[in-house]
Amino acid sequence: MHKLKPRAHFALFVIFGFLLFLVGNRVDELRVYQGASIAVFVIAISSLILLTGYSGQVSLGHGALMAIGAYSATLARNEFQVPIILTFFIAVLAAAFGGALLGAAAARLSGPYLAGTTLALAIGLPSLANQFSILGGEQGLLFDVGWPPLGLGEDFTQYKWFFWIAALAALISTWLLSNILSSRYGRNWRAGRSNEVAAQICGINTGRSKILAFTISAGIAGLAGALLSMTIGTVSPSAFPLALSFALLTGAVLSGVSTLSGVMIGAVILVAIPEIADVVAHRIGSSENITTNLPGFIISALLILTVLFVPNGPVEQHRARAAKKLAKKAEK
Amino acid sequence: MKALNRRKLISVSAVLAVASLTATAVPANAAEVGVSSSVIKLGMTLPMTGAASLGYNKIPGAAKAYFDYLNANGGVNGRKITLVVKDDRYVPTEAVARTNELILKDKVMALLAPLGTANVKAVASSVNPGRRGVPVLFVNTGFSGFADVKKYPTTFAILPSYIMEAKIMGQYIKENFAGKKIGLLYQDDDFGSDALAGFQTAGVNFAVKVPYAAGSQGAAAAAGWITKFKAAEADVVILFGVSSATSAMLGTAAVLKYAPQWMLGSVGGDATTIKLTGVPAGVLYNAIGFSPVPATTDMNDEYIKLFSDIYAKAVPGSVFDLNVLLGMNTAFMTAQALKAAGQNPTRKSLIAVLKTKGATLANSALTPVGYSANSHVGLTGYWIGKYSPAGDLLPVGGTYVTYTTDSGSGAVVKSTYKRPAMPAKGLPN
Amino acid sequence: MQLLNTILIGITAGSIYSLMAIAFVLVWRSTRVINFAQAGMALLSTYFGYEAVTRIGSFWLALPIAMLGGAIFSALVEVILMRVLVKHSSSGPIAAVAPIIATLGLLGLIRSVIAMIWGGQDLRIPPPVSNNGFTVNGEVLVFSPLKLLILITTFILMALLTILFQRTNLGLSLRASAYAPEIARLSGVRVDLTRTLGWALAGAAGAVAGVFQTVNGNGNFSPDSIEFSLLLVSGFIAAVIGGLDSLLGAVIGGLFLGLVISFVLIYLNGGLFFIAPFVVLLLVLFIRPQGIIGAKAGRRA
Repeated sequence: MHKLKPRAHFALFVIFGFLLFLVGNRVDELRVYQGASIAVFVIAISSLILLTGYSGQVSLGHGALMAIGAYSATLARNEFQVPIILTFFIAVLAAAFGGALLGAAAARLSGPYLAGTTLALAIGLPSLANQFSILGGEQGLLFDVGWPPLGLGEDFTQYKWFFWIAALAALISTWLLSNILSSRYGRNWRAGRSNEVAAQICGINTGRSKILAFTISAGIAGLAGALLSMTIGTVSPSAFPLALSFALLTGAVLSGVSTLSGVMIGAVILVAIPEIADVVAHRIGSSENITTNLPGFIISALLILTVLFVPNGPVEQHRARAAKKLAKKAEK
Repeated sequence: MKALNRRKLISVSAVLAVASLTATAVPANAAEVGVSSSVIKLGMTLPMTGAASLGYNKIPGAAKAYFDYLNANGGVNGRKITLVVKDDRYVPTEAVARTNELILKDKVMALLAPLGTANVKAVASSVNPGRRGVPVLFVNTGFSGFADVKKYPTTFAILPSYIMEAKIMGQYIKENFAGKKIGLLYQDDDFGSDALAGFQTAGVNFAVKVPYAAGSQGAAAAAGWITKFKAAEADVVILFGVSSATSAMLGTAAVLKYAPQWMLGSVGGDATTIKLTGVPAGVLYNAIGFSPVPATTDMNDEYIKLFSDIYAKAVPGSVFDLNVLLGMNTAFMTAQALKAAGQNPTRKSLIAVLKTKGATLANSALTPVGYSANSHVGLTGYWIGKYSPAGDLLPVGGTYVTYTTDSGSGAVVKSTYKRPAMPAKGLPN
Repeated sequence: MQLLNTILIGITAGSIYSLMAIAFVLVWRSTRVINFAQAGMALLSTYFGYEAVTRIGSFWLALPIAMLGGAIFSALVEVILMRVLVKHSSSGPIAAVAPIIATLGLLGLIRSVIAMIWGGQDLRIPPPVSNNGFTVNGEVLVFSPLKLLILITTFILMALLTILFQRTNLGLSLRASAYAPEIARLSGVRVDLTRTLGWALAGAAGAVAGVFQTVNGNGNFSPDSIEFSLLLVSGFIAAVIGGLDSLLGAVIGGLFLGLVISFVLIYLNGGLFFIAPFVVLLLVLFIRPQGIIGAKAGRRA
């Protein structure tokens, strides 16, 4: 792993942010919107990478945690007229609280049991929206972050505003996350993941460490949820289907579950799949049955192939190969 | 990129701004996005895959079947209509993303028949076709809110609202089943709460109300519903749910030989769909049903005859059911509106035409359309019929008697609406 | 009468969940993998059954064909997918999630390929016998010849499986192959073959669950049938209730879950349909983490 000093790290994020700013000004409105979606996915996938790749726990229910964030941000906004920036913090806190509860349960479970519990959560939780009228039922609630500030000029579109907010949030959360991962907590998680007993002998409270991972991961997922409902202007149960949780897992695997630095890969692929499928369908000029199901087919096939042949993700694969080369050179 | 001016929230300027951006992509003689000298491009997002897609995934094929027929017969003022269809899997996030593609990349002139209240709401809020001046024609949901011209200036509803339906049902119950015990099966979400609101306005008291979670409807669940209706000794049972709930209920009722007076809501009341699930036609016999459009088996109706002919040729082997009829009717109304919008239709002229002439456009529905300068309410009522021994919903006595009302507290009245005759060959005139 | 009906509904639905749970248990016992694609395989087998019914016309010939198809497909998945998976991703951070992800991917793949071949619309398998309820004391029960048949067939299959496990050392070999493949190999167990056999049996059990779930409903099914998502979740929860490792546990878990859902539906609120199984799962995991039947080892697989 590269070991960057926090300050150099920070500069890197600032430079990347500036690049995004430049790019955001040059592409058309559709790409700006897709950029915002990618930023949302980057945040959500990074939360899963933290949980799975670093602390070794599985969640098939991160869509539900995103829903908690989205609904609490919306309620804070609509019921108490909380300033927009605060709503995102509220989303983080609410989801983190949910994550802590879930994490306490998860610390007792592992592998398939945890997968099953979180799966049931993903299915069960969104349907709660119909049980409480304040949550707006199936049609959902409006979530309006308001117009971009006037100072940004008259041509500044709503989508560009979304993109700025989401991209900034993604930069900040990824930066924080990368710092957490290289801290003592990150080491504890990795230790607990690779050998729980050994970690315990070294004095690490693996149970508490796991709950902490779940809490932080959930908080980040909550942020992604609030941003997601910002980009679609509403929050409703159908925006957080089981398929979303699966998509996040897919994104995490395509990015490489153990490397935060690959997180863009998965996010871009998830957003680009429908367009890729369109192009493929045009090329082969296929029937409606095939065209309609091509996106699902491509993403599933990609997922299986990745797990089979690039199990630790493209970034890790590349690193491993580079390391091997280096070792060979050293031998000579 | 130069885009929408947010301080002048007038759709005109938005239209011009978007149009100017795309001017290079459009042939010089056409002045509108999605309209070239030879083609008018329309877009549609709806669930083509996923649990919510069943039945609805026939709508694009139906609309295309009509447009192909239209194109083969000269199109609209010489322009052919192409329909770009995208799968939103009934997920609002997908609906927003796909609609953005339709408007910003495919550059369609108008959006057609989007489906699902949550989806349409998300699109209205995020993509904001109202501000972009993009027409959203014939929204496929019974949510009454989309008729609000101020909130959704370019959106036009088509289906009568669930509230209207419940009010008309309530009126019928008061006139025909006074003193009887009434039971209600409803979906435990907005679809159901709209129905409850309508029944309350109509002043119906229920002996028993049975909610079900969307997606839970199966034979086992239906047996549970029946035990509850039996325990409450309901004489009349209203099924105000989706078709899978109706067919689960009727199928299980056949098993249990449970036979109250059934009353079927229009959403789940399509006889063709119900019978396809194996429900014996006899169970449907004498049930009371409601529909805004003619029975899909009524070959005496000129629209049904023509549409089912066109569909049978375009999609052989597929059953002509209510979704197909609604899809083709939507396409037909769109063609009418485009034709009326002038030699060179624009988004603005299309919207203007629907406001001024929308209520008089020919279409297969038997109840009036409520479009005006101040309202985008679609169909405003239902005809009430009974299912025949063969299980087809037919008007009592052979003539369609329709009732209309509104989504508020207005009265339910017998309609005097006379449907305009179908234009020759079903082509826009 | 209401009570009797509630119980009968619960047992019939529960017996189908049990079959699905058995499929989960067999795969878990042979390879320590939760096969989330189980529902997809059941769906594919149901399409096999559909093709057989429409060609041959006999439900009773179609059922074994569906089972055979399901078994072969499941065995192929083990041979082609799972063996490579074990080879490539049995270490590192991915190891914990690789099987889950691979089977989820497979679920998506099966679904989309089915939709590509057969299309997205409803197909139908008509019930082999009448679904009209029996009459007792002038009251019609929800219990019909069809449901009786489902129940009988399910229990015959379970009995056959039990005999297979008791008469042969298959059960032991399965467990040995999963827990300690090296030792198993040394003591003469053909580990690879045993594992494949475990998967094949699971595929056959899932096929029956799929076909029965279809005819027990209204006979219709499509690539997106809600019935199959239910089958996946209920089968899995039933297997966990039963302890994931025990065939008897899977049967009890399935029946228990079927009864709980049925009682919630009839005596409580139909809106709780999806929340009820979740609550059951959580309660079981917290009160008896080892399942109703299961070793006291805790859930640290």
